[in-house]
Amino acid sequence: MSLGVVALFLAACGGGAAPTPSAPTASTPASKPAASGADSASAKPAASGAASAKPAASGSAVAAASFDGTLLIGAPMSLTGSLNNEGRLAKQGYDLWADVANSKGGINVGGKRYKVEIKYYDDQSKQDQAALLTEKLITQDKVQFLLGPYGTASTFAATAVAEKNKMLMVVGNGAANSIYDRGFKYTFGILSPGVKYMTGVEEAWLAQNPRPEKLAIMAANDAFSLEVAQGAKDGADKNKLPVVYNQSYPPDTKDLSSALNQVKASGADVLIGSGHLEDSLVLMKQVKSLGVNFKGIGLSVGPSTPEFYNALGKDADYVFSGVQWVPEQKSTGPILGSAQDYTDAFNKKFNEVPEYHSADGAAAGVALQLAIEKAGSLDMEKVRATLAALDQDTFYGRIKFDGRGFNVDKPMIEIQIQGKDKLIPVWPEKDAAGKIMWPAPTWDKR
Amino acid sequence: MQILQFVIDGLLLGGVYAAVGVGFALVWGIMNIINLAHGAMIMLGAYVTFWLFKLAGVDPFASIPVAMAMLFILGWLIQRYLINYVVRAPMLITFLMTFGLELLIVDLSLNFFSADNRSVQTFYSGARLDLGGLAIPLVHLYTLMVALVLVTLLQLFLVRTRIGNAIQATSMDLDAARLVGIKISRVYALTFAISAAAAGAAGSLISVNYSINPTAGAFYTPIAFVVCVLGGLGSISGALVGGLMFGVVQSMSQAYIGPAYQNAIAFALLILVLLVRPTGILGVKTAT
Repeated sequence: MSLGVVALFLAACGGGAAPTPSAPTASTPASKPAASGADSASAKPAASGAASAKPAASGSAVAAASFDGTLLIGAPMSLTGSLNNEGRLAKQGYDLWADVANSKGGINVGGKRYKVEIKYYDDQSKQDQAALLTEKLITQDKVQFLLGPYGTASTFAATAVAEKNKMLMVVGNGAANSIYDRGFKYTFGILSPGVKYMTGVEEAWLAQNPRPEKLAIMAANDAFSLEVAQGAKDGADKNKLPVVYNQSYPPDTKDLSSALNQVKASGADVLIGSGHLEDSLVLMKQVKSLGVNFKGIGLSVGPSTPEFYNALGKDADYVFSGVQWVPEQKSTGPILGSAQDYTDAFNKKFNEVPEYHSADGAAAGVALQLAIEKAGSLDMEKVRATLAALDQDTFYGRIKFDGRGFNVDKPMIEIQIQGKDKLIPVWPEKDAAGKIMWPAPTWDKR
Repeated sequence: MQILQFVIDGLLLGGVYAAVGVGFALVWGIMNIINLAHGAMIMLGAYVTFWLFKLAGVDPFASIPVAMAMLFILGWLIQRYLINYVVRAPMLITFLMTFGLELLIVDLSLNFFSADNRSVQTFYSGARLDLGGLAIPLVHLYTLMVALVLVTLLQLFLVRTRIGNAIQATSMDLDAARLVGIKISRVYALTFAISAAAAGAAGSLISVNYSINPTAGAFYTPIAFVVCVLGGLGSISGALVGGLMFGVVQSMSQAYIGPAYQNAIAFALLILVLLVRPTGILGVKTAT
């Protein structure tokens, strides 16, 4: 059984081609700059769309030309600014969904086939821009539905504009409770909630020997990161793990040396960092250069992107993270097929192994498509009603919204980095594909 | 003991800030231009180091002269063929010009370098000195030393060399400088080029200390601004003092009040200094 899971994982890593687990083509150092340059944040969607893959998922592709109309969907997205990397990944998910949907004949609205077209604007990772551009998409571009931007702050602002205009926004990448606690009717989010991000990591740690004794929490002070940190704090309290340091920092910080020296002095032996890729890198580099040793480090966002390992090399090993989705999971459903099908299609189109940001985006698209097709109409209220009532297994797991429009049933999967491109699912135990490496050796011994 | 550690953290951070501020100070002081593209030029310097390291295995500190030379040429060209046309215009015009330049450089970099975060990981990247319980990251220490050398050389150049004197004379009295035969456009081009070279060096240093991406420069332009105002407008040694002071204040507030307040406190300090000593710490009143 577990052998099978490992094999599946290896296959995913190797792009399904040769059985060499270590080198998916996109991530070899030599080819990386050119490859990622071509489909970087600012690359043209038209070009990548044209060159794109056929659906790897089960065949029966309808000849592409015969659409009855175009369904214009809008999305503000962080294509530049501090969240440009995550934004790029989320956009890849949207694009992949649109490609696969179109190659299968588009969205079926009561017998008529509509081609999916996504209109993006760059919100520069700024929430006021996200709000402004959402307004523009609705009033000037006259989009019919909206997909969410990247990140809690932008999503928080953009959904408010969508709500005001009674426009459905399916959120791929905003997981803070604060987004869904405002009684909005037109906001639906497919992620597991932020408070759940690191609690699984804590549970995993507490099951290890030696048991961790003191926890330090450092969070970027944006809404989502603080919520993850609060979830981690509550989880630690519940499990009687003392929290000896709990502070937030500005999200664009480049230096945390003094804070980390304080953590060192506090005697913490496990660290949870709740932030984004850039500050996660700051944290990791300075933890090492200051010689602060932990049995385990858990980071909410960052470790699951290929860049994390590219930037840190072996120093990235032993780090834990919570992810919304892993290619190895067994879930399957309509449109994109199984998690494995999604992985293959993604690999073919972008020459990269997908991680969860893109799957979140693609799942948002799938949810919207399912709701439209079930409603058999493009009428906003009808689509909203079917989306609210949706209960569907997909490649992403179960999608079922609570009264707030939040996909709360879905669990997080905790991973540990155990080598280049080896993000091993380790918790919950039933989904584990490998053993936890514990405790992490001190920096001197690596 | 703890407090000593935080002072050291701050000084090491301040070394980076000083390197960031020194080129900015030069252009501001001599040409009265607030160069909003300074951060973007720092980022370019960082990429020179990154690519040399990645493609040819050149040690990041050894690549500093290369980054400086390349940025020197770029700076010269930018001044000669762009800024020279608006250098005497009101500040708003040069402001807009350098702002546009910043956008251009960042966008081109996004295209050519991709938005990925990069990092120069040398074998000594995480190494540190342990001095009786004090942790001193080696790379940060080297960075501070290079910043000190940079500031000293620049200061010597301005004070001791004929060209340096010409540059200073130009900033003191433009008409008099012209009367004694100084070619203003050449002095300006040289000044801007030197400033760009300093940005290149700062970029090299940043690429070893932190991860970089094409938008990373935007963080450093405001830092350069604060460092210059703190230290005293246009003063080279002021940039050093301003940088070190800013670093120490940030590090102290990070440790004792909480990292969330580090920026608020550092900027409050800026306002305080401006109230008490409007010319900055090392600044002198100049007749203009």
